[in-house]
Amino acid sequence: MVPVARRNLFAEKGRFAISVAGVALAVLLILTVLALYRGWSRAGEVFEQLPGELWAVQQGTSDPFHSVSLIEPPDIERVSGIDGVQAVVPVLSRQMNFAPGGDEQSVRLMALDFGGFPASPDIQERFLPPQGQVVIDETLSRKTGLDEGDSLNISGVELTVAHVGPRGGDVLSQFAFVNFEDARAIFGVAGIVNYGMVVLDEGAQAGAVEAAIVDGHPDLQVYTGKEFAESVRKEIDESFIPVIAILVAIGFVVGAAVVGLTIYTATIERTREFGVMKAVGGSPGFLYRIVLSQSVMLTSAGFVVGVGGALLVARLAARAVPEFATDFQARDLGAVLAATLAMAVLASFVPVRRINSIDPAIVFRA
Amino acid sequence: MDGKQEILRATGVTKVFGEGERAVRAVDGVDLAVHAGELVLIMGPSGSGKTTLLTIIGGLLRPTSGSVFIDGTEITALGEKDLTALRRRAVGFIFQSFNLWESLSVVENVELALNIAGRHGRFARDRARELLTARGLGHRLRFRARDLSGGEKQRVSIARALANDPELILADEPTANLDSKHGREVMHLLRDIARSDGRAVIVVSHDQRLREVADRTLWLEDGRIADMGRVVRDPVCGMSIEADSAVALEHNGLVYHFCSRGCSWEFQAEQAKRVAAGHAVGQGGDR
Ligand SMILES: Nc1ncnc2c1ncn2[C@@H]1O[C@H](COP(=O)(O)OP(=O)(O)OP(=O)(O)O)[C@@H](O)[C@H]1O
Ligand SMILES: [Mg+2]
Repeated sequence: MVPVARRNLFAEKGRFAISVAGVALAVLLILTVLALYRGWSRAGEVFEQLPGELWAVQQGTSDPFHSVSLIEPPDIERVSGIDGVQAVVPVLSRQMNFAPGGDEQSVRLMALDFGGFPASPDIQERFLPPQGQVVIDETLSRKTGLDEGDSLNISGVELTVAHVGPRGGDVLSQFAFVNFEDARAIFGVAGIVNYGMVVLDEGAQAGAVEAAIVDGHPDLQVYTGKEFAESVRKEIDESFIPVIAILVAIGFVVGAAVVGLTIYTATIERTREFGVMKAVGGSPGFLYRIVLSQSVMLTSAGFVVGVGGALLVARLAARAVPEFATDFQARDLGAVLAATLAMAVLASFVPVRRINSIDPAIVFRA
Repeated sequence: MDGKQEILRATGVTKVFGEGERAVRAVDGVDLAVHAGELVLIMGPSGSGKTTLLTIIGGLLRPTSGSVFIDGTEITALGEKDLTALRRRAVGFIFQSFNLWESLSVVENVELALNIAGRHGRFARDRARELLTARGLGHRLRFRARDLSGGEKQRVSIARALANDPELILADEPTANLDSKHGREVMHLLRDIARSDGRAVIVVSHDQRLREVADRTLWLEDGRIADMGRVVRDPVCGMSIEADSAVALEHNGLVYHFCSRGCSWEFQAEQAKRVAAGHAVGQGGDR
């Protein structure tokens, strides 16, 4: 079979390149927005990474960021004694300002008191620094310029950066982990804590423990680690999803318009040649297939270039902007591929009427 | 043309464009029969309906009334789908402006016509090559169609018209965009298509030279057709003349036509000399 579609496309190399670039930009826009969303939706993942299955919080606490939760020591005591509970780890957490190098920055300080409860070396390293030290993540390190061994002062407490961990999920406000004793000094509290992280016995029923925690104690509320993490993401979803929906729709329309215009012009220009195909016996289906192949080739090329471009842009942008946290997921790539194919099909509908109306008798007219 | 198969028959073909006062009778009650091996030339003033008639015969335009048969099939009674299928195998088109697929290579132009008729792969490629090579384009197969000269383009379009081995070839002004050398080349290709391949060829043209290769010339005026007779070549002076009004002379079972008595006398004297010298008679006569 003669590759008519390919020949027609490549006959106009300049236009082909411009159209591919147009589709690629649309793909780049859609993919980058989705990847940013995925990257930002990792927010709160720390609550899934810590070993506690349940989080006891003060009744009415909406999420770890916008709400203050205060829990008295007797409550922690009581929960520790519930059947199926292996340990309750008191947790202090609060958004704090500090000014490394004079620039005011905000950080989510968090401290866990594991007491005698054994922690794995990994947990130890990431979340439980010794007194006088702090663990920050890569994003905060790049925002502040702080590196391993540097010192900072928060509310009069001098801390040294123990090490810089990998980029955490929280893009807007990073977590920094300090020793529980330092946190007490910084926050200026004695017995009161913010949360109780509940580690369950092996095989214990989370539901039963949860019921026991709140039974007779309406001042408490329980989140699973996942729910607590999701309470953080909820904010991202609510503000982000409508925005990305619009951006993705714009990207899609732009892409489809570029392909549609290109295919339409290419069809108009070759009206006579299509007429000759009809005259020598080409069926309408034969002509549609050529047009459809043209737009599929165009969008596929645009997709490949767009994906490459998006990966490159993400890399460069992350270097310039620490908050440019992207996460390219296979399902999003698949969805964007499907969307570009939809663009191709939509775009090839544009010239269908045109093709139908070509009268093969024009071939004898000069 | 006795005994030769009738390829095309048109009866009472009429085409009216528009309605009421602005109606144009482009073709008016044309009857026409063309046989295998015959080259028919249609001439006539501009706007006389030549192209319209050719378009109807080729199944690209439906007549207002009348019918057209190609190889016994009444194409004017066919539905769109069957008509398209019939064009695919039974009719080959040659155009004034070549109408090649410009983005394709020379060989692909012919191959695509085969593809459209459901012939693919090696067979199609080989047949395309063969048709082009036979028309002196073996060294141009990979060229882009738009980079060819006019004469080459028309040869490609002839090869394309022959791709699916149609019985009927229709050509509209095939020499109009060519210089006289290439025009003559195309003329002879068309004659071979009729004589050697035994196809029916209908050519519309203003080009008087084509009369030399035509078996019949028809005159179309105001959509109506008339026989113009045949043009022959004077073997002595080489002039093209109407067979009906020429000086005819029978010699050794062949009929010769001359523009004037002078030429016929010269011819006779020449023949007498040749016979005396033991040479065969000259060429240029009809049986
Ligand atoms: N699609 C059409 N609609 C209306 N009128 C038409 C149409 N096609 C042809 N005509 C008219 O029909 C008449 C015959 O046209 P046609 O093109 O067949 O002439 P022609 O003999 O081929 O002329 P030429 O030698 O200039 O090519 C002309 O008057 C033309 O204007
Ligand atoms: Mg014409």
